[in-house]
Amino acid sequence: MKRYFLFVCSSLTLFTAMLVASPALAQKKLDYNRDVRPILSENCFFCHGPDGEHRQADLRLDVEEAAKDYAIVPGDLDGSDVFQRIISTDADMQMPPAESGKKLKPEEVAVLKRWIEEGAQYDPYWAYVKPQPHDAPQVDDQAWSQTDIDRFLLEKMQSAGLTPSPPADKVTLIRRVTFDLTGLPPTPAEVAEFVADDSPQALEKVVDRLLASKQFGERMAIYWLDLVRYADTVGYHGDQDHNISPYRDYVLDAFNSNLPFDQFTRDQLAGDLLPDSTIDQKIATGYNRLLQTTHEGGLQQKEYLAIYAADRVRNVSVVWMGATVGCAQCHDHKYDPYTIKDFYSLGAFFADVDEAKHFTMGSNALPTKRPPEIKVNTRRERAEIARLEAELSQLRQQQEVEQQEAATTEVSVEDTAAKDQAQKSAEEQQPSLSPAEKRLVDAIKRLNDSARLTMVTESIAPREMRVLPRGNWLDDSGEIVTAAVPQFLGKVNASGDRATRLDLANWFVDAENGAGGLTARVMVNRLWYLFYGVGLSKSLDDFGGQGEPPVHPELLDNLAIDFYSHGWNIKRMVKQMVLTAAYRQSSQTTAEVRTADPYNRYYSHQSRHRLPAEMVRDNALAVSGLLNLEYGGPSVRPYQPEGYYRHLNFPQRKYHSDKNAQQWRRGVYVHWQRQFLHPMLKAFDAPSREECTAQRPQSNTPLAALVLLNDPTFVEAARAFASRILSEAPPTDEQRITHAYQLALSRDPEQQELEIVTAVLADNREIYQDDTDAAAQLLHVGLKPTDKKADVAELAAWTQVARVILNLDETITRN
Amino acid sequence: MNPSPFDLSVEQSRRSFLSNVGFGLGSTALASLLAGDALAADSQASAPAGIAAQPGLPHFPSRIKRVIFLCMSGGPSQFETFDNKPELSRMDGQPMPESFTAGQPIAQLQGQELRCLGAMTKFKKYGAGGVEISDFLPWHAKMADDICVIRSMTTEQINHDPAHTFMNTGTVISGRPSMGAWVNYGLGCETNELPGFVVLSSVGGRNPQPIASRQWGTGFLPSRYQGVEFSSTGDPVSYVRNPPGVSVGQQRQIVDAVAQLNRGRLDKLQDPEIATRISAYEMAYRMQMSVPELTDMSDEPQSVLDMYGATPGDGSYASNCLLARRLAERGVRFIHLYHRGWDHHGDLKKFMGVCTGLTDKPTYALVQDLKQRGMLEDTLIVWGGEFGRTPMFQGKGGVGRDHHIKGFSMWMAGGPVKGGTTYGATDELGYNAVQDVVHVRDLHATMLHLLGIDHNHFSVKFQGLDMKLTGVEPARVVKEVLA
Repeated sequence: MKRYFLFVCSSLTLFTAMLVASPALAQKKLDYNRDVRPILSENCFFCHGPDGEHRQADLRLDVEEAAKDYAIVPGDLDGSDVFQRIISTDADMQMPPAESGKKLKPEEVAVLKRWIEEGAQYDPYWAYVKPQPHDAPQVDDQAWSQTDIDRFLLEKMQSAGLTPSPPADKVTLIRRVTFDLTGLPPTPAEVAEFVADDSPQALEKVVDRLLASKQFGERMAIYWLDLVRYADTVGYHGDQDHNISPYRDYVLDAFNSNLPFDQFTRDQLAGDLLPDSTIDQKIATGYNRLLQTTHEGGLQQKEYLAIYAADRVRNVSVVWMGATVGCAQCHDHKYDPYTIKDFYSLGAFFADVDEAKHFTMGSNALPTKRPPEIKVNTRRERAEIARLEAELSQLRQQQEVEQQEAATTEVSVEDTAAKDQAQKSAEEQQPSLSPAEKRLVDAIKRLNDSARLTMVTESIAPREMRVLPRGNWLDDSGEIVTAAVPQFLGKVNASGDRATRLDLANWFVDAENGAGGLTARVMVNRLWYLFYGVGLSKSLDDFGGQGEPPVHPELLDNLAIDFYSHGWNIKRMVKQMVLTAAYRQSSQTTAEVRTADPYNRYYSHQSRHRLPAEMVRDNALAVSGLLNLEYGGPSVRPYQPEGYYRHLNFPQRKYHSDKNAQQWRRGVYVHWQRQFLHPMLKAFDAPSREECTAQRPQSNTPLAALVLLNDPTFVEAARAFASRILSEAPPTDEQRITHAYQLALSRDPEQQELEIVTAVLADNREIYQDDTDAAAQLLHVGLKPTDKKADVAELAAWTQVARVILNLDETITRN
Repeated sequence: MNPSPFDLSVEQSRRSFLSNVGFGLGSTALASLLAGDALAADSQASAPAGIAAQPGLPHFPSRIKRVIFLCMSGGPSQFETFDNKPELSRMDGQPMPESFTAGQPIAQLQGQELRCLGAMTKFKKYGAGGVEISDFLPWHAKMADDICVIRSMTTEQINHDPAHTFMNTGTVISGRPSMGAWVNYGLGCETNELPGFVVLSSVGGRNPQPIASRQWGTGFLPSRYQGVEFSSTGDPVSYVRNPPGVSVGQQRQIVDAVAQLNRGRLDKLQDPEIATRISAYEMAYRMQMSVPELTDMSDEPQSVLDMYGATPGDGSYASNCLLARRLAERGVRFIHLYHRGWDHHGDLKKFMGVCTGLTDKPTYALVQDLKQRGMLEDTLIVWGGEFGRTPMFQGKGGVGRDHHIKGFSMWMAGGPVKGGTTYGATDELGYNAVQDVVHVRDLHATMLHLLGIDHNHFSVKFQGLDMKLTGVEPARVVKEVLA
């Protein structure tokens, strides 16, 4: 029975159950936040919580004073109505009432009983208390006492009766860390180098190399773009393309240049309000424009402005506060102290965002219009233009001296308009340009021409914002609100007569007087999730009362403090997290451990999980040698099934897949059509990005299997992989299969594997030798030309082998 | 605490379950994995094919096994189909009284003069029950005693995209599960060769409105429950066809080799996720085999094709109705048809003719075909748009009507639904539903009730909340329309 129970119940209940069941731990006093509050929240607060309008019997249990008025009498079970109603067998009396669908488990009743007996101590809610520094516990394991992270983890692990797993082998480790930090597999050379490096700094060297690579930013961007719901289309109705890809470049650059997270926050929410804001900061304000929009005929502007405001409140509160303020749109929050007024007050920070023009100016063209937009070059392009212009100017001075002729006009180039002007005058003068000059002028022109439009935030006179009773946009009876942060969290310092988006951003990252402690906890918890598979609090998007309190609150506090007191340094934090004994553990574990700790909340082993959608793609392209590592730029369009956009209209859509090397770019650059996300990405759980996604589900479905089996991208990758095997490896079948395994899995095949793969090869060789037409058809999939000299049957047979390898569970799994 | 039990965690609990029971992946274990959630494995031997229901579901015996939802996308006019309003016709051309329209949401007619527009066709009463049906729907007239017309529907969203989202998910916030996903999640399905939720679409009429895939999305429920769209052109399902130059036998060998290699990995790591992947590949292969068989209608007699007016492969609503029956026969739980073309802001009479011409007879054929096969008694059919149309005139390229949400008509048939009846009513001008009002969430509650689900106790934890298809406002089962 106990085993069955442990398996079905959630981790926290598990923890509580262990507390109750284990005599050793039973002595330890209950912790309100960890042990008691979740039970009250789940079962009682819906009717007896923060929502005053729907509160039953005028009884409130989330606030100590109110609860202890009569319902809870510390130390007195008989006198505590709450407890008597809970244990009542009278259907009219029993709490929670049957119609609520809630039922307390016996062990939960036991916890409440003990809590009241122990004095019913309430504590302030953990997430809203400023993080406090904690001394790391002393542990006796040499290997686990190198870092504070390990000390905290080991102590909890041991107190739960668990022991750490041995370190993963080095091949597994370098595959893991390379996927985690870059989203790509290591090359065979990188694996070999790491395996051969016996120095204690071997892993650190790899980590430093990976953090310095451009691919780090691409990997992190995948996650950030999910949070902020980045997409290439407007989302509603016609789902037309909108201009936003420079924002993605900004995010890539921000992670790669290790932009401090507080500045990253200010740039996105309020880059336009910063003094002397840079082009990058303006691009960053695209954040405020990422929400779904529409210009559907017959829309009512007032309704959509209300929908947009609510969308922003949901996103900004989840992204920075891990809060579900969105639940307070129609009434006060049921579980957390957010009021309906807080909801609309938070929305009021964005009342100055200029966005209503598209209701009338939005066109059914691709891309549509979503003013205000600016035309920009990427940061690298801008640097290159500056360099070329300097060179040009130098060249001209030289020519002036040499030829003693009148110099061409030099133009100081400050902004795009001036550049355009310079371009025009340069073109007009082209006939007289020297070949060297012309080369430079043309190069500058090409770069300027590649400038892209991008939606930005411009501030206008703020709209009047009201509380909308029950969320009804037609109801003007609600009170007018001004920009304010949720009242129970304090006040924002207004820099002028009205609190602005910049004030909000500063408040998010102000660890002393603002929500910085919360923001830091939310962010480090998400980083932790990326490298350990499960957050220190499992609820990446809800740090409120219905979320899960962290199992390691001291560690989370320390990491949060470390984060903000070292300049919100992302790379520093990532490096700390992956250079631990805990990170290095094997993911291999036993049935007993899985039963005792099914969610790995004690981190007694590493996690094994299928790669995210983009990385499934990137990995196949990398293994095959097709991957194009070009960085940044507009979105790309991989092969996609014919007619997939047939339901789109205004305008009707014809998908044109890329016909050049853009076809083999990384997944982070794939065109993100909200209404019809590319079926490959969708099958592997990439979200539509209509709303914030902090944690993707990890499905394992037939549709995903069909993608790997039959999607032309993967068939072409198999084809290229086959060519690579044949051209790189020594000529025996066994050596070639071994090479294929090394490329895809960084290891040699075992004997049995060799036999299985060899059988596939032999059969297909025979089939394709008999039917070279079929072989030619298979080799015709995709753009990549086939080596004309190759033996068609042989290459097709190896393509089949490559398909087998690309479909393996191990190939798409981070271990 | 209370993790959403459906993302990582459901796989995790599956892991711990499997590691408890221990397993080698013999055919029985594979069958049980295919049969759905591991919890069902205790009845391995007798487990039927398909995906298992959630524990505790259905709450009470189901009256129907499946739902076929015929969505007339764009919003058909009730005034030219099921809601006969003589008073509106009498006032044709006169100003619409402000008492009806003041302060009401309005779509394209914002700022325009509002005038009454009478019915552009005639109505008669049909069948033993005397259901009123317009001349646009002669085939519906023949099955008047099979359907229950609800003339008092209301919804909350006046633009197409959010109105569909509301009709399908009960909310306008994107990213919530659609009803087909909810039903499949709750009850599973009886097929392991086809998805439990299939979407079919056709086009014909005025200005086909776009339909987003969120309309059949799975939201926070596991992806396996998402609607899978069958295309009438190209491959029926994305990537269901072998790569060119690869035969069925070769594909089988690839899938087998992958399974063998994965099994070796599974033996070593004992990670149940690998077992799930092996079964997913097997099911993918079966889907590759069964989908062509499903969509190949050469086994249908000509008389059946004629009854529907279907030419297989033409992508018409008629072909989709026939395909819907074939899907129903094969154990698919929720079949959602969209016919795009009902957005009749202008030239309503002409386009009503086009739309009813394309859909009237096939709909009749579907109902009769199911009846003849004894399947109507356990199938719920729902017909209707995402909203209705205004009693007011709109002239966007000829006479038409704007979007309307305060009163419109839908119909249900099958199972215990009382055929030959009419339920609810709008006011004399057809503006507001005034009698026995049926909100979208009441429709959801009724559908779930027929499936054996109490909508109040059918919830999933998401972001700390108990999410329900019927939302937080009270919803009621419209028992009056059920026998």
